[in-house]
Amino acid sequence: MVETSGDIVKGVGRCMPNRTRLINYYWQRTRRNKLAVFGLAFIIFLIALAAIGPLFTLDPTEANFEETNMPPVRFTIEQSVYNIETDDFTTTKISGTWKHPLGTDSKGRDMLAMIVSGARVSLLVGLIATGIAIILGTIIGVVSAYLGGWVDNALMRFTDVMMTFPFFLLLVLIVFIFGPSLAFIVLAIGLTGWTGIARLIRSESLSLRTREFVVAAKALGASDNRVVFRHLIPNVISLIIIMATLSIPGVILAEAALSFIGLGDPTVPSWGIILESGQHTLETAWWVAVEPGIMLFLTVLAFNFLGDGLRDAFDPKSNV
Amino acid sequence: MSNVILKVSELKTYFFTRRGVVKAVDGVEFELRHGECLCLVGESGCGKTVTALSILRLFDSPPGKIVDGQISFDSLNLTECSSKQLRQIRGKDIAIVFQEAQSALNPVLTIGDQITEQIKLHLPLDSNRTRDLAITLLSDMGIPSPEKVMSYYPHQLSGGMKQRVLIAMSLSCDPQILIADEPTTAVDVTIKAQILDIFRELKAKRQMSTIFITHDLAVVAEIGDRAVVMYGGKDVETAPVSEIISNPKHPYTIGLIDCLPDIAESGERLVSIPGTTPNPLDMPTGCTFHPRCPEVMKICSQKEPPETAISKEHKVSCHLYT
Repeated sequence: MVETSGDIVKGVGRCMPNRTRLINYYWQRTRRNKLAVFGLAFIIFLIALAAIGPLFTLDPTEANFEETNMPPVRFTIEQSVYNIETDDFTTTKISGTWKHPLGTDSKGRDMLAMIVSGARVSLLVGLIATGIAIILGTIIGVVSAYLGGWVDNALMRFTDVMMTFPFFLLLVLIVFIFGPSLAFIVLAIGLTGWTGIARLIRSESLSLRTREFVVAAKALGASDNRVVFRHLIPNVISLIIIMATLSIPGVILAEAALSFIGLGDPTVPSWGIILESGQHTLETAWWVAVEPGIMLFLTVLAFNFLGDGLRDAFDPKSNV
Repeated sequence: MSNVILKVSELKTYFFTRRGVVKAVDGVEFELRHGECLCLVGESGCGKTVTALSILRLFDSPPGKIVDGQISFDSLNLTECSSKQLRQIRGKDIAIVFQEAQSALNPVLTIGDQITEQIKLHLPLDSNRTRDLAITLLSDMGIPSPEKVMSYYPHQLSGGMKQRVLIAMSLSCDPQILIADEPTTAVDVTIKAQILDIFRELKAKRQMSTIFITHDLAVVAEIGDRAVVMYGGKDVETAPVSEIISNPKHPYTIGLIDCLPDIAESGERLVSIPGTTPNPLDMPTGCTFHPRCPEVMKICSQKEPPETAISKEHKVSCHLYT
């Protein structure tokens, strides 16, 4: 194999020379796409929310049985409460209060606090799993294309096998074996999600490696490591950025889907977990399920818009 | 001879493809003397570039393989060197300038990044001195405001500038041998003249030993000391340039020279050698040139012609002279 782990760390550093002007250029191109800018703005808002939001909200784990199923602010619902003294149901009107702007769930937990801490979990899941997938996919793709021959064959057949493996079944299996731990779920999503990326990166690198600058770099005495990290990877970095942006929502949704069918990590309040807890009270407290649902919807939309915008910006053939 | 610094003998580089064995280089022999400019001349597909790539083993392997022959440099046989040894020679002792400057520069790195990278690879200099050296190299190549050019990306430079940047890069470690693979083919005539000037100056000032690959006999006449005419992966004639131009022996060389437009005879149709370069998968037997040769004899299709010395410096492989 071409690299050891130490070389990879050095290599990643080498991929990042000062390219502020290029970033500026692509930002100018991306900016022309309004939806992409909206996406980016929402993602930045989300990151800020996840980073500093929990400092300002209530404790998302604190149950309060005096204030269960409170609707969001400006909403009023009728609630039937069993009165033990009269042995009868009394219907009362409950309005949302500013103490719980997004209402509370059936255990009286503050929805806003849960959504905010859920943002943190869902974003982390998306970023870490995508990070694992991108690093694996890039290295496998580039090495496969660069070395060619039997290495390429072996790696690509392995990729094929991974692709045909039903990913959801694997996740269910992992949860079944190791228990519903978020770390394992993230790892599993990352370790299975690299296949498409590897293929794309490989096909791009295949055409790059025959370009003369690769031969020129070798003619100047560059090692394989150097060619891969300094010359090939920087040339596929636009592809990597696009793939990363487009795969994050998939990962977030996968985690949410797992949680929704009850295979999520119950100790960590991700949006999927909240959504799942909300489905039991959908008739009495619809907001518990709807609020994380809207957040998931917006987040996935924002990443997709940004990904599309970046793809157009990085495509030299398109004139957006 | 003691001043020979690179000797290529019986070099055979084959490409083993699915459709058969491509004998791109099939027994080339030449020597490069210190301080001379040796030209490799021939049509497209005659193995000039593969010969150059073979010296530093830069072709893709597989499918390419040096199956036979020796490349002696500095008491080393380059065909038997480990890839690590070779890596140290590449760029430091033997440097290559490629044909298309556009594609030989990495589009996502600045000129400065690429030129300093090359220096850092071979010379133990700190980053300030590396930068200074890079700027000196660029200004030596006649690049205006080199400090600025250092932060440019390749697409911001013209073709001629890029070619100069490439030459500057290849000279950065003061190599003993410079291999130039058609450096004047992809540029227009004014740039061509300037680049030829650079090579002439290199020879005069640094006594650079150069292997200059070209298909353009006019360029050969202008800067070459000796020339090796290649056809079908073999060297067919080797002689000093003046001898090649005034007294060509091999029918192929004669044909090449006849192809040059003559300024005195206006209105004439341009002459060309009939036929095309042979299919490398299916080389003609005997002398590979015989299907196109105006003086073909019976023996030509049966036996490969041996090398004959016309004079001490003039060698030709053709049955006409055996």
